[in-house]
Amino acid sequence: MTKISVVFFSLIFFMAGGACITDTTPLKLVVPEGWPKPVYDFKKNKTTKEGFILGNNLFYDPILSRDSTISCASCHLSFTAFTHADHSLSHGIEGRFGRRNSIALENLAWSPSFMWDGSVKNLEQQAINPITNRLEMDNTMINALNAVNSSPKYRRLFYLAFNDSSIDAKMLLKALAQFTVMLESYNSKYDSVMRKEAGVSFTESEQNGYTLFRQHCNSCHTEPLFTNYSFQNNGLAPDTALNDLGRMIITKNETDRYKFKVPSLRNIEFSAPYFHDGRVNKLKEAVEHYTSGIVETPTLAKELRQKIILSAPEKKDLVAFLKTLSDRAFVYNTGFRNIFSQ
Amino acid sequence: MHSRGGSNYGFPNSNKNPNFGKTNYRMDCKGIKKTFFKYILPAYAFIPVLLCPQVSKAQQLFIKINPVFDNRSLVLDDQNYITANGDTVSIETFKFYLSNFILVTEDAERAGEKNSYHLVDAQDSTSFYFAVNNIRPWVYKRLQFDIGVDSLANVSGAMSGALDPIHGMYWAWNTGYINAKLVGHSRPCKTLHHQFDFHIGGYTNPYNSLRKVVLELDDLPISSSGTTVIELNADISQWFKGPQIINLFRTNDIVIPGKSAMMMADNYMDMFSIKKQP
Repeated sequence: MTKISVVFFSLIFFMAGGACITDTTPLKLVVPEGWPKPVYDFKKNKTTKEGFILGNNLFYDPILSRDSTISCASCHLSFTAFTHADHSLSHGIEGRFGRRNSIALENLAWSPSFMWDGSVKNLEQQAINPITNRLEMDNTMINALNAVNSSPKYRRLFYLAFNDSSIDAKMLLKALAQFTVMLESYNSKYDSVMRKEAGVSFTESEQNGYTLFRQHCNSCHTEPLFTNYSFQNNGLAPDTALNDLGRMIITKNETDRYKFKVPSLRNIEFSAPYFHDGRVNKLKEAVEHYTSGIVETPTLAKELRQKIILSAPEKKDLVAFLKTLSDRAFVYNTGFRNIFSQ
Repeated sequence: MHSRGGSNYGFPNSNKNPNFGKTNYRMDCKGIKKTFFKYILPAYAFIPVLLCPQVSKAQQLFIKINPVFDNRSLVLDDQNYITANGDTVSIETFKFYLSNFILVTEDAERAGEKNSYHLVDAQDSTSFYFAVNNIRPWVYKRLQFDIGVDSLANVSGAMSGALDPIHGMYWAWNTGYINAKLVGHSRPCKTLHHQFDFHIGGYTNPYNSLRKVVLELDDLPISSSGTTVIELNADISQWFKGPQIINLFRTNDIVIPGKSAMMMADNYMDMFSIKKQP
């Protein structure tokens, strides 16, 4: 009798459960060989094709901003590795200028913190910032939720992705993360060379640049993600107009003055302008900064305290190497562009 | 093009698993019809029973919060109160998180909640009364809980319920929850509308403003049935009283994590006392 009842009760559960769960198609992050384990907790937000499509639609939709004029994609364009081309500082609604250069979005599943000052510790919580920041979308979470809840399209897409069409902040943030966490870049020439793919090799100049890179840059812009996610003062002259203290704003610690997150160098060819305030437009000028532009303040990174000397050809080689980090499969990925859902 | 592992367009990678979300079970075809009518159909009658929430074996414990200023119950906006420093104040907003409620016996046995957060808001009397789960029958000597949201919950991604970021208790610019909030008005504040703002938060060392409260109980027996209510006073005057007496002329604006927030958290951690217990 007990055996029979176990069978029946389980049957009932399957029937009751099966009837109301919509089918989703799992979507898995690729962890390239030799890369560390992602830090993002996929157990709490299982990525699916439906969730990705939903997140993609939200990312490209101005519905989240107060006056429905800008979207995440306004300042994070897929063609430029999800940064804002030609804008040293990005602008939010009503042309309000922000305080920092929009950062490239790539390989976010590996990032233990977000924003130039590391103020955000979890990818899901990151989106609250641009939605509510006065200089960006200037919205409230409640208004944004009202907007998506009154859209039949989003009620449907949320139902398909999360089996629930009544959208709360948790669902909205998890949906955006479903898209952003999938923005992976691991198919640059550098990657092919490292994987010893047939017919791909560095040119002499690139190879020489790689050697120089390992010598002078790799301690912070560490392979394979090309950042060690630390916060460093890279010797930029403090900007008196913005007076941005960087990491110190968050930690209140004097030793963090003028420190910013080490950004990844992947796709750097596409992500100009450079540095936290976008003060430099060209890659060779960025390299130039490290050889002749370092301003010494008490918190300057110890690696930069000794002058880096590079000849003109060496600088060219370094830039040539940096361009091997360009991943065209990433920036031209049509799945990362707007997938319009009706 | 230097790509590996498939396309440079479309989805990054899609592992299709036909069994995802489904559970396989097999059954002999012959007996299905008979079995269905004989057992499965009647078994549906049990569904309501199965779907009912599990009835806890222990008594239900409820906490009731009484917001007060000294011994007077709190009236928002229209009532004036006097602080330890002699400042006259009115209170506009009084909100705080309580979490990790635990009862402790004489032998240090513990029972209570993990990862459970209660947002108490003076404006919403329904928030004053809430259940504490996972209490076992025992005689308890001590009640423990935290004021605020622990560091783990602060970095665990998007949350719902009490931790939904829409409640005005969340900082986006420096991600994290505001553990407690007190906003009001007082003449000595040389600010717009004489307003003072205390938004106390911060979860990283050395400025972690989470505070543990330990309250001694008279023997509190919890048996296996019925309801127990513990009433707590939440006394706002404690915010101004100390250890550090607050002079509102000098201190009227603490809205970021840091030393001042730590000082205020040390002040208000003493605001709770047992008003009534069985």
